[in-house]
Amino acid sequence: MTAGFDDERRCPVVHTDYRPDRPAFTTIDQLSTERELGQAVWNDSTDYGFLMVQRYDDVVELLKHTDTLVNDNVNAFDPNMEIPLLPNSLNPPDHNKLRRVLNPFFSPAAVKRLEPLARLRAETLVSELAEKRSVDLVSEFAILYPTELFLALLGLPTEDGPMVLPWVEAIFGGFFASTPEELQAAGDAVASFSTYFGQLIDDREKDLGDPTTDLMSRLLVAKIDGEPISRADILTICMTLMTAGLDTTRSALGYIFHHLAQDSDLRQTMINEPERWPNFIEEAMRLYTLIIQDGRQVKEDSEVLGCPMKQGEMVWLGLAAANRDPRKFENPDTFDMDRENLNHHLGFGIGVHRCIGMHLARAELVIALEAWHKVIPDYRLAAGTELVERGGQLRLQNLPLEWD
Amino acid sequence: MATANLVVDIDRCTGHGRCYTVSSELLTEDEEGFVAVRHQSMELTEEQTPAARLAVDACPEQAMRIEYGEQ
Repeated sequence: MTAGFDDERRCPVVHTDYRPDRPAFTTIDQLSTERELGQAVWNDSTDYGFLMVQRYDDVVELLKHTDTLVNDNVNAFDPNMEIPLLPNSLNPPDHNKLRRVLNPFFSPAAVKRLEPLARLRAETLVSELAEKRSVDLVSEFAILYPTELFLALLGLPTEDGPMVLPWVEAIFGGFFASTPEELQAAGDAVASFSTYFGQLIDDREKDLGDPTTDLMSRLLVAKIDGEPISRADILTICMTLMTAGLDTTRSALGYIFHHLAQDSDLRQTMINEPERWPNFIEEAMRLYTLIIQDGRQVKEDSEVLGCPMKQGEMVWLGLAAANRDPRKFENPDTFDMDRENLNHHLGFGIGVHRCIGMHLARAELVIALEAWHKVIPDYRLAAGTELVERGGQLRLQNLPLEWD
Repeated sequence: MATANLVVDIDRCTGHGRCYTVSSELLTEDEEGFVAVRHQSMELTEEQTPAARLAVDACPEQAMRIEYGEQ
């Protein structure tokens, strides 16, 4: 592929719009191609454009530059995005102060406390699906399973899943919006979340729970620099955590099951050696990176890898493309759960903003995969399926599976 | 006598937990999910050094190292 060259930016320029849906697995191919065009590549597909940095070493390095590439806005598609996110939008030192309030609820110890519920939920769902012999993994398993767990983690009624899921959908629609309708729907969803979590805040204020095990109670009693967290910020935190937690795990399950549906030998290996599920999942996080980029905003007029950038412009730090960088990972497009530097993947990000939910995600995925394969060890992709992946933050929109 | 110490760069450690996952016999985590020994260096016996090396290699932040010395 030949690309034009932008003399002002002093780098190649591409026009790929990463916001719309596309045929499954084509996004990473396009990203990898563009990674090889240069250390920095200007993308002019949006109103404002953004700089794409996608090689592993550069991405890791730039994610450390939290003083010059800031989180005030993390949406490379829209430097003026108005959907609030916490703690994502904070920079050090404020970022760390809020993370420390939240960390105990997402620590390995906290996750262990959720494991019995996760196992119960996974086993129940699988046994309900087993006789059907033909399911859409995405809507009938992947969406439902993480939702209940997440609501339980937040101390919310698990029956509220069907109600909050459309709000989560709409907010993602807003991140990657190409239309005013999508932005409007996202705004409405934010308002719905505010009402929903607002009710929870009111309930807990009247009747405080244990701040060591109930997240909302913790947020209500926490002090940062001697000050309580404002109601508005509490709402934003809850909305951010819910949006992040519900979308990603189910997306991971889609790609993982697709991979396993195509490889019966690998399935058999995993059934015989279930202790390898954790390594399997790490390699799946690398190969099928969902959050394809971290957006960072340029704080002051400067140069990024030799490209002049103005204050407020966006840099796309390409996690997915970096995870396939041959400079870092040998045979990068091959699934190999025994590769040496397995743990260096960027599927959960890196640096201070690394995914707070990583331990929960890992546990959820292992438990789901173990439970499924105990009951449904053999399955295949339904014939004639055309798979589509969502733009912006990847997920398979459906995954029809069948078995005998 | 040669000594080996496992040292954590506290500014780099962000709690990925790969170290205590791959070397669970050697390392454990605190209640926030950071490796428990991040505030002080940990003296290693010869038997412990291979597990320590695995932990060092596993860290995506390259936040751990083994320091060798003479005592």
